[in-house]
Amino acid sequence: MLEYGSRIVAGVTPGKAGIAIHGVPVYDTVKEAVMKHPAHASILFVPAPLTRDAVTEAVDSGIKLLVVITEHIPVHDVMHMREYCESAGVAMIGPTTPGIISPGKTKIGIMPASVFVEGEVGVVSRSGTLLYEVAGNLSSAGIGQSSCLGIGADLVVGTNMKEILRLFEEDEHTRLVTIVGEIGGAQEEEAAIFIESKMKKPVIAYVAGRLAPSGEKMGHAGAIVMGERGDAMAKMEILGKAGVDIANKPSEIVDIAKVHL
Amino acid sequence: MRLFEHESKRILKDSGIPVPNGLAIKCLDDLPSTVEEIGLPVAIKAQLPVGGRGKAGGIRFASTLEEALSETRNLIDEMIGGHRVKSVLIEEKMVARDEYYLGIIIDQLSGVPILMFSTRGGVDVNDIAKENPEILISRRTNISRGLFQFEVLDICRSLGLKGTLLLKVSRILHKLYEVFVRCDAVLAEINPLLITDEGEPCAVDAALDIDDNALFRHSDVELDLEMRFQDEIRIDAARSGLSYVRLDGDIGVIGSGAGLTMATADLVKDFGGRPANFLETGGGITEELMDRAVELVLRDERIRALFINLYGGINPMPSAAKGILRALEKLRPGIPILVKLVGNQQEEAWGILERAGVPVVRDIQTEKAVAKLMDLYEEYMCASL
Repeated sequence: MLEYGSRIVAGVTPGKAGIAIHGVPVYDTVKEAVMKHPAHASILFVPAPLTRDAVTEAVDSGIKLLVVITEHIPVHDVMHMREYCESAGVAMIGPTTPGIISPGKTKIGIMPASVFVEGEVGVVSRSGTLLYEVAGNLSSAGIGQSSCLGIGADLVVGTNMKEILRLFEEDEHTRLVTIVGEIGGAQEEEAAIFIESKMKKPVIAYVAGRLAPSGEKMGHAGAIVMGERGDAMAKMEILGKAGVDIANKPSEIVDIAKVHL
Repeated sequence: MRLFEHESKRILKDSGIPVPNGLAIKCLDDLPSTVEEIGLPVAIKAQLPVGGRGKAGGIRFASTLEEALSETRNLIDEMIGGHRVKSVLIEEKMVARDEYYLGIIIDQLSGVPILMFSTRGGVDVNDIAKENPEILISRRTNISRGLFQFEVLDICRSLGLKGTLLLKVSRILHKLYEVFVRCDAVLAEINPLLITDEGEPCAVDAALDIDDNALFRHSDVELDLEMRFQDEIRIDAARSGLSYVRLDGDIGVIGSGAGLTMATADLVKDFGGRPANFLETGGGITEELMDRAVELVLRDERIRALFINLYGGINPMPSAAKGILRALEKLRPGIPILVKLVGNQQEEAWGILERAGVPVVRDIQTEKAVAKLMDLYEEYMCASL
């Protein structure tokens, strides 16, 4: 992140106060860190059993944007985290997210920066590595991205896909939006309603997991088809009806994007 | 992790929710003594880690010991809903005046628990929602504030419950919510809650699904992976922290990240191949984990080609490359293998693999790699004819 130009002002690890890593001072508590270095955002790599504690600490210290990288947090903890963030007006991205990158500007995340190029396509994904694949496809065709992020692959996440679409719709640097969905849950379905009623910018969608058998959890906690609910074809159909261009392969996202740009 | 019915019921019973007398058995020899203890007539219920058992014929009844023996013999080792029956629950057969539905699920979009109650039970809740939405109440709760008795009372009252039955049923729904919270459940369901002629409620079927990510704080929940998965590769994958799902083809697929792995399997199919599995490494790729992943997939005798598709964010890719080589050197599979790997120290990782003779795709597009894999697969299949 430092290499990418993100301004990391402080780190927090209890018991490690006083040291500096790559020139960044480390503190025991978030309160102490933000007192000395006012910060807008925080990225969390805290182990799953302690993440709720860390999120609460960050919210209480006045930080307004949290990016929770940690995987495998109990969903009951995530529900508490989400509720607490909402009540304090804090935006939480994740858990189980690779973070956010605005190519050429900054990144709060763990994604390999080399696959992203500055441009005008906003990408919102449920999966991390599939986000890299799609951005990589766009970049190698010379199509850059305004901002890319993963909302997180858990059952419950801090910020739904719909909210990210709202931000992209308002963002002057974004001309076109790409959704990278996957089986399970209802993020894409909720997004479809928003797109149909509120969005003017063109949207492309790709949904992974057509092969997934019903009732099997495909890696992510949220990736499970129940009966017919949450299956990839159904999601594509709903998005298609909402006026979204459907890509069947990552390369088709590039083909469709070229038409719009 | 979905608990078996008898495990779920033990937890409910310990929480003060009435359940029928019953015992789970794994072999026929234990049946006569069990039936004697429970008393005839009995229900014989296949224990499965999935729902929808009744429709699939997983519940039988018997009024004599002979019937019980023959029904149990038929049920044990039977395949129901894609799972082999390894144990059955022998339970007293109850007579219903009414059947209700009680359930708690998580609303994924709003991130809160939802309480559901219906005065129709014993059928799938989705069918109730479709056919009798007027007698299905769902109420969002607030996880931090908790749920109070008066709220549950209100829910049960709104469907016409009165007097002692109102009190009994609303207490059970409240207790079910407490179990849901205490056990870190993603689903807690009593379906049906049977009401006897005497007006006594009893949870004749129940399901608890405990969040896999919270199992670390529920060491009291004993999980028998072998009873659940039955697929040896999958059991060993779960033990190593890998997610494995068996598919019906002959091309092994390993990926980092669930989305990428699903997309990779979809692409293999789009390019005319048939994936044999889905194996996802999760974010923490190490040499040991990759060694294990490759070894597990290659243990499957159906495999005729293997594709490995990795993105490294934090984790260095050279250790992934070393893990792949370690497994290949041990197993020497003799089938086409192709690796696509991007991210942290990728050049070094490519070098390690290529020097060992493992073909690498340096392009970022998975589609190009899958196309190449299918060429290798065709060549191999032709050569082995």
